[in-house]
Amino acid sequence: MTSDHHHHPAEPAPVERRVAALEQLLTDRGLVPPGFVDAINRAYEQDIGPRNGAKVVARAWVDPEYRQRLLTDSTAAIAELGYGGHEGDHMQVVENTADVHNVVVCTLCSCYPWPVLGLPPAWYKDPPYRARMVREPRALLAEMGCDVQDDVEIAVWDSSAEQRYLVLPQRPPGTDGLSEQELAELVTRDAMIGVARL
Amino acid sequence: MSGLQDVGVPRRNGELAFDAPWQPRAFGMAASLVETRFDRDWEPFRTRLIAAVAADQDRPYWESWAVALEDLLLAHGLLAAEDLQSL
Repeated sequence: MTSDHHHHPAEPAPVERRVAALEQLLTDRGLVPPGFVDAINRAYEQDIGPRNGAKVVARAWVDPEYRQRLLTDSTAAIAELGYGGHEGDHMQVVENTADVHNVVVCTLCSCYPWPVLGLPPAWYKDPPYRARMVREPRALLAEMGCDVQDDVEIAVWDSSAEQRYLVLPQRPPGTDGLSEQELAELVTRDAMIGVARL
Repeated sequence: MSGLQDVGVPRRNGELAFDAPWQPRAFGMAASLVETRFDRDWEPFRTRLIAAVAADQDRPYWESWAVALEDLLLAHGLLAAEDLQSL
């Protein structure tokens, strides 16, 4: 044993080994298709939750009265579409405009509006994201492929258990002919966190 | 018919609360089986989970989840007792 042995990962817990063995067995038996657990976890991370938020955004784009309700009482307006629950309480929707780009971070931990956005992406919990989005949002956004013009102010919203934020992106130009459903398909999770523009 | 929201998965500040990499694997296995074998009904798993939690209330939640998963597989004949003993 080397002197740095205490830095090595701990032995896997019995339950960890057992769960891994069970997954192997289920895969071998064809009870769980190969890659299906990964796909399920991705679905919960990217597909199921964000689609709820995307429907909220698309409704706001096509219905000015809904948009107004969404901005004034976000939790209630989101609940109108059937989304919410404990983790969707205390929502505040912040609207991107020609002058302001909003982005959400949780500096203390990783508060996240699960019912509308699904599982949080891994980077959302990373301390560097949390720290840098407050300190140098424009540079970090650029690194994430989200260029915000210099004359657009960046507003950083710090989520907490008492207040969770959802960004209402600007409706992309050239989408006048699209239905609400088609519009919803344009809305991405990252746009609703504010690390992407549509 | 039960959905995931009926299962009472632990959340921390609104997100699914996983503390170790094996926990989302256990979650994903249950979700996979619910999807492919139980017609998206979480109820059969949920009843096993309630029983597993009740059987040992000091046991960490995701360990009870793993127990419930095995119970479900056994009860529905998807795996045999010998299979589980060999894990």
